[in-house]
Amino acid sequence: MGLLSGVAVVAAAVLTVSGCSTSSSDDSGGAQTITVYNAQHESLTQEWVNAFTAQTGIKVEMRNGSDTELGNQIVAEGNKSPADVFLTENSPAMTLVERAGLFAHVNQDVLEQVPSQYRPSSGNWTGIGARSTVFAYNKKKLTEAQLPQSLLDLQAPAWKNRWAASPSGADFQAIVSAVLELKGADVTRQWLAGMKDNARTYQGNGAVLKAINAGQIPAGVIYHYYWFGDQAKTGENSDNVSLHYFKNGDPGAFVSVSGGGVLKSSRKQAAAQQFLKFITGQNGQKVLQTGTSFEYPVGSGVTANPKLVPLPDLQAPAVDPAKLNSPQVTELMTTAGLL
Amino acid sequence: MTYALEVQRLDKSYDGAPVLRHIAFGVEPGSTTAIVGPSGCGKTTLLRLIAGFEKPDNGTISLTGRVVAGDGWMPPHRRSVGYVAQDGALFPHATVGANIGFGLPRRSRKNSTISRLLEMVSLDPSFASRRPDQLSGGQQQRVALARALAREPELMLLDEPFSALDAGLRATTRRIVADVLAQARITTILVTHDQPEALSFADQVAVMSDGRLAQIGTPREIYATPISIATAQFIGDAVILPAHIDGNRARCALGDIPVALNNIQGKCQIMLRPEQIDVTTNSIGITGTVADIEYLGSEMLLAIQVDTTNNAAPQMVTVRRLGGATLLTPGKRIGIRVLGEAIAYRN
Amino acid sequence: MDANPSRRVTARPHLPVVLAALAVMVVAAAVLPLGYVIAATIDTGWSTAAALLFRPRVAELLTNTVLLVVVTVPICVAVGVTAAWLVERTQVPGATVWAVLLAAPLAVPAFVNSYSWVTAVPSLGGLSGGVLIASLSYFPLVYIPAAATLRRLDPAVEESARALGATPWAVFFRIVLPQLRVALAGGALLVSLHLLAEYGAFVFIRFDTFTTAIFEQYQSTFNGTAATMLAGVLVLLCLTLLVIESVVRGSARYARIGPGVARRAVPAQLGWRYTPISLLFLALVIVASLGVPIVSVFRWLAIGGWAVWNWDVVGSTLTQTLGFGLAGAAVTCVLAFPIAWISVRHPGRFSRGLESSTYISSSLPGIVVALALVTVSIRYLHPLYQSVPVVIAAYALLFVPRALVNLRAGLAQAPVGLEEAAQSLGVAPLTAIVRVTLRLAAPATAAAGALVFLGIVTELTATLLLAPTGTRTLSMQFWSLSSEIDYAGAAPYALIMIVLSLPMTYVLFNQSKKAAGL
Repeated sequence: MGLLSGVAVVAAAVLTVSGCSTSSSDDSGGAQTITVYNAQHESLTQEWVNAFTAQTGIKVEMRNGSDTELGNQIVAEGNKSPADVFLTENSPAMTLVERAGLFAHVNQDVLEQVPSQYRPSSGNWTGIGARSTVFAYNKKKLTEAQLPQSLLDLQAPAWKNRWAASPSGADFQAIVSAVLELKGADVTRQWLAGMKDNARTYQGNGAVLKAINAGQIPAGVIYHYYWFGDQAKTGENSDNVSLHYFKNGDPGAFVSVSGGGVLKSSRKQAAAQQFLKFITGQNGQKVLQTGTSFEYPVGSGVTANPKLVPLPDLQAPAVDPAKLNSPQVTELMTTAGLL
Repeated sequence: MTYALEVQRLDKSYDGAPVLRHIAFGVEPGSTTAIVGPSGCGKTTLLRLIAGFEKPDNGTISLTGRVVAGDGWMPPHRRSVGYVAQDGALFPHATVGANIGFGLPRRSRKNSTISRLLEMVSLDPSFASRRPDQLSGGQQQRVALARALAREPELMLLDEPFSALDAGLRATTRRIVADVLAQARITTILVTHDQPEALSFADQVAVMSDGRLAQIGTPREIYATPISIATAQFIGDAVILPAHIDGNRARCALGDIPVALNNIQGKCQIMLRPEQIDVTTNSIGITGTVADIEYLGSEMLLAIQVDTTNNAAPQMVTVRRLGGATLLTPGKRIGIRVLGEAIAYRN
Repeated sequence: MDANPSRRVTARPHLPVVLAALAVMVVAAAVLPLGYVIAATIDTGWSTAAALLFRPRVAELLTNTVLLVVVTVPICVAVGVTAAWLVERTQVPGATVWAVLLAAPLAVPAFVNSYSWVTAVPSLGGLSGGVLIASLSYFPLVYIPAAATLRRLDPAVEESARALGATPWAVFFRIVLPQLRVALAGGALLVSLHLLAEYGAFVFIRFDTFTTAIFEQYQSTFNGTAATMLAGVLVLLCLTLLVIESVVRGSARYARIGPGVARRAVPAQLGWRYTPISLLFLALVIVASLGVPIVSVFRWLAIGGWAVWNWDVVGSTLTQTLGFGLAGAAVTCVLAFPIAWISVRHPGRFSRGLESSTYISSSLPGIVVALALVTVSIRYLHPLYQSVPVVIAAYALLFVPRALVNLRAGLAQAPVGLEEAAQSLGVAPLTAIVRVTLRLAAPATAAAGALVFLGIVTELTATLLLAPTGTRTLSMQFWSLSSEIDYAGAAPYALIMIVLSLPMTYVLFNQSKKAAGL
């Protein structure tokens, strides 16, 4: 290829790439764009975004990642962060950003859409959904009599190599943060040490479910919606699996609140607040009821998908979402050798 | 008359080690000069300085009166100097025709020009579309020459152009190149370590040794009156004998022979060329025995043990003779006669 | 013709200052990640660092990683050399086909390989799983230089050994293998470095190495100290490997392009005794390293049907990947050029220093480079944070050494004597460089670009960390879908990555025929 055509191709490539990735903020002209740092499942947030853009015309650019990764990134970026909205799957990452003083106060009308137990009293962020911890087990490998009474039972030697989890994920770390909040550091440390001995680790709750279903491990601790989601598709990763809810206010019945907040440094406060309002409003929460995410709605009085165990029946322990401490969890898990 | 090339007091060192010391000579327009010397004597460096690929430490180089190095600098691409490297340095990615036309302005790269140049070096015009790796060594050298000639330079530099060719090819290629350059009347400088090449090719021979110009002159002068034993041995076969000079005669193992006058007296060394030593089957005068014969086809090398008088050390002399029918065999007694004068050198 | 065209015996003139300065800047940038790790370690303070480093988890990771390298590398060497020998030196049927097929696994990213094997054998995991997948993905890195060297060995040496009474096995072990030392050392080093840097492949089979742990830490703490400490250990491991390779290689330098061998060796006859087993071996290797991934990908595509082909997303990821690949390849070649020039035209202590530094930077895994760039861009160059130039910079840092190898080979084909000849023909110096040197080095430069392109298409870790919001490359899309266990959805992207990588692998294979060693 001649020198000139080579230069032309490269120039085109550079222009394409820079064109593709222009950061948000295209204020000129009509359509606004907001940047959402999204730690929720991409497919769920995409549903929200599609509906929101259809309704308001505001475009949304998503940066996807995990709770703590994005949370820590926002903290590291400080007030120069390009993010306008931060959505998470669990609360600890929201607390992290809140403690760094980076959230703007959520508008009152948005706050009022969500009951107070699903949001912090500070009003710096709000709950957008919830999920329940469950003990998933292979029906053929475990009988009902063999099921554990409490999450803390799993540190006992009897459970060696018989349960799995995904400790590197923010989901499980949120569960650990609940244990920490409910039972204190000493109990948590002990439990984590037991987990290190007993549990097999996987990357992601989906991988845990798949392994339980395949019989590679009898049981695991994940969130409920993975099972429901797979059942709604082909069921090939969940047909052999049953769910056991700990209930009785046990740490294993922990209901984790997914959070949404607006960054103080955002230059599109109004649009950002509007997005939060949409998510916690009727239309947004209906997505959780009727969609394929199978997470629990928390706002605007929308009830859960009929297939799910209703939220009140879960007997979840009372945990203030604002008190869940992720740095300490990371430290405890690192010391235990899980990270 | 302005020299085509004039070099004055040229010095060059690399990393502190001197490679050229005070080189000075001139080349007349239209003539051919051969620079000879053993490997490492600095002759390629000298050529590269003339071409402009490097700068001298001291001294000047002038081309047709213009100073190009020393008191001023002209980069190689502006000098009207053609350069043929040892391996031809043809551009492997271009055809023969493209190689030849490389230095010409675009509009002058006509097929007719290329063909003319190819014919000048006795190559068929159809060669123009071939690639360099399809040519033999000799053909590559000729293309390199044509490429350099295309620009009609004032001075042509050839760096050991035939050394990589085997014997038969070397002679033919050399003849063609010599003819081309003579016809075009281009001033040429040829660097070689091959002495017959230097002697046959050039109007002027410059002998270099250890970075210095030992001697410069016509081939005849260098051959007949070399300035040192080293030069003598380099430029041709030489028979070196210890001798004692009295006046203009030298006494040596080959008897009492005339010697060219040059103020040397007493003990010294003398040099004779092989053709000055005549061997006959008549054992008169200085005699000797044939010790060994080495046949070289059209010639032979005779090792002769010369008879010595009164316990002097035995003397072996090697002489080259034309072969053919000969009555000489090892052990044969022969007579030795010296023709012409010997040249004397200090010990 | 003379074996050393226009090569002068005397010393080179002075280094071109501008080029030298550029080269030093590139090398300094390349060593930046190393500096970052050191600075971060110092910043953290020794007691915290020690607490983070000397704990059972790190011992676990170290054991895993070391075992992985120690088991996989010999397997890759054995497979690579055997395959190379069969293809180059025996009359095994279909040698020309095998030759290309054996290089093809490079086109399948290791994480796609892992995804395919996990589909076929779901219980695959742990060290054995890691070794299997790594060997299948990386043996071509030994095979290609071994084959290239075998092709160029002078048969006269072996024939003399035979004449002295050595049996064929003895000839192989005592004559041939030592001559392969340089190629094998280089190949083994490359395999080890890839193993240390690999992330995606080991996640699928749940095998924890330093890189997977660094990623997990990163996901938990973003740029936390634990991640950096782990990165520090990883860097030390890499440097250790470099030292070992240098010792094994000895004072032999990597072979450069030289004149071809006068003669090629006569291929050995396998006969009815060895032909079936040789064919079986080759077939097994190809089936495992190429067959399984391709069949898996097509099986998932069949399961997913047309639904998984979301043409909008496919189109945009493809465009973005192509854009990054081409831009990255161009920038990397340009940055590597000054170093290659100095290395070929002005060999000496300075150029050796430059080369060694690039080797050090080439050993750093993508994740370490990405972490370093994230820190630097957040703290000091904020406008560049999360921007395309930073991603391209990461690619350049990661792949300059790969480009260097080919650029050096290309420039070695254009000796300075040709430039001088051009100047004597009246062409100005810069024009001479363009018309002669660059023109001659063009094919090798294309190969360098192809190699970098190949690396960028399959790169995952640095892209995940650095890509600007809204970027979606093929590898990112594949990763996001397969992480959600949507294997069918991920299949189209796996297919496209393989298809994109095949031509580049072919270019690499072709270039290897012209140069021995990597």
